[in-house]
Amino acid sequence: MTAAVMRSPRYIDIEITSRCNLRCTYCSHFTSAADVEEDIPFFEWRQFFEELGRAGIMRVVFSGGEPFARHDFLDLLIDLKRHPIRFAILSNGTLIDNKIAQFLQKSGRLDYIQISLDGADAETHDSFRGKGSFDKAVKGIQALQEVGLTPVVRVTIHRKNYLQLKSIARFILEELRLPSFSTNSASHMGLCRRHASITQLTPPEYAAAMEIMLEISDLFPGQVNATAGPLADGYTWRAMEEARWGRITPPAGGGYLSGCRGPFETLAVRADGMLIPCQQLSHLPLGRINRDPLLTIWRNHPTLSLLRNRQHIPLATFSFCRDCPYLSSCTGNCPATAYTHFGEINHPSPEGCLFLFLKKGGHLPERWNRLHG
Amino acid sequence: MIYLKANANLVLREEFDDWAVLFDPDTGHTYALNPVAVIVWKHLTGTNSEEDIIRIVAKEVESLPPEAKEQISSFLTALQTLNLVENVEREKP
Ligand code: SF4
Ligand code: SF4
Repeated sequence: MTAAVMRSPRYIDIEITSRCNLRCTYCSHFTSAADVEEDIPFFEWRQFFEELGRAGIMRVVFSGGEPFARHDFLDLLIDLKRHPIRFAILSNGTLIDNKIAQFLQKSGRLDYIQISLDGADAETHDSFRGKGSFDKAVKGIQALQEVGLTPVVRVTIHRKNYLQLKSIARFILEELRLPSFSTNSASHMGLCRRHASITQLTPPEYAAAMEIMLEISDLFPGQVNATAGPLADGYTWRAMEEARWGRITPPAGGGYLSGCRGPFETLAVRADGMLIPCQQLSHLPLGRINRDPLLTIWRNHPTLSLLRNRQHIPLATFSFCRDCPYLSSCTGNCPATAYTHFGEINHPSPEGCLFLFLKKGGHLPERWNRLHG
Repeated sequence: MIYLKANANLVLREEFDDWAVLFDPDTGHTYALNPVAVIVWKHLTGTNSEEDIIRIVAKEVESLPPEAKEQISSFLTALQTLNLVENVEREKP
């Protein structure tokens, strides 16, 4: 049975440029299939925005590269406003000045702007993002705050900052006076694949980051948004452990490759105009904007059907999951990292795999220890 | 005579099984509409009164429960409170 699919995607992620003023060591964009030579021109996006307006798309999320590295980005936002669509921006913050901040504040259509900040000081932040980027990112955040906007700060957790997470939290919440922040962690995509040993946390380090994030959540209740990264995995894994001991029922979709909901809600576009299922699945082109109708692709493309039907593939069919006690509560994690590790999207991913995490020396936080048996 | 007209800035996003989301791009607010509410919304053209709309729904929906008339009425009031619908006053044609 195939799950019902909406008539059109709710959101579209657009890599508005492939260029960036930084070269972060763990960047998922560079060296991926989305790292394209040419950005398509203004008029092509303009034409595509019309199609998005007709399709009832509610939000476009602009990323890159770095969206503000594109000289006509603000003109594109003005053009988007001709249509009933809101927007969000994922940025490194370093190119945001007062003029841009004012423009965004007045746009009336901004859902959120996310700025990356990986340290409480230049040394930590710049270690993987490049010299001078901390000062510029902080200035960008402050420029947004000065006009009354509240940026969403995203901390990418990696080997050089996980031990500083408490001071990072204090810096964001107390010095910058932002209401909350979110995290993710460097994962095996793009440039990170080349630099995995210096950027990606080992399982014991991941466990330590989880403990620290829990302490931060205690210190700043409700101010840590755990949608990705060690704390989010921690909560998922705790639920898997609880389900294993029969204390809760396994989640819907447990035992199957059901972890990716993206193809039921969103589509993405590379900077060269190729439609893809998700920014992290940039090697799977579905068609080209302004040539292939968006809704035809959304409803009929075989690759999307394949991704949507992953949820019927039992984890028990993979030797990777043999002997795993968490099988019935696991959803197999992200197909994009399954691909970058194994060259296969129909496979569970080792990132997010609790069984592997424990086998390789990871452990769940002390306070959850009572869960074991 | 009072006719009802939907706020033209709103987008009706029909999603699945005749359910829809009403979306205001200027505020970002969204409202879930069930299939009957979708029919109501589509007839808020400025040429139908509340009675007209109730009549249209009764025609389009098989076995409409008796309390539906009241529910449609309070739905229309809610839309007006949220400024999603305006009253248009005109002579009856
Ligand atoms: S789970 Fe992975 S592939 Fe699916 S939407 Fe999220 S990032 Fe994309
Ligand atoms: S081995 Fe990993 S991916 Fe497979 S079921 Fe267990 S926890 Fe999930």
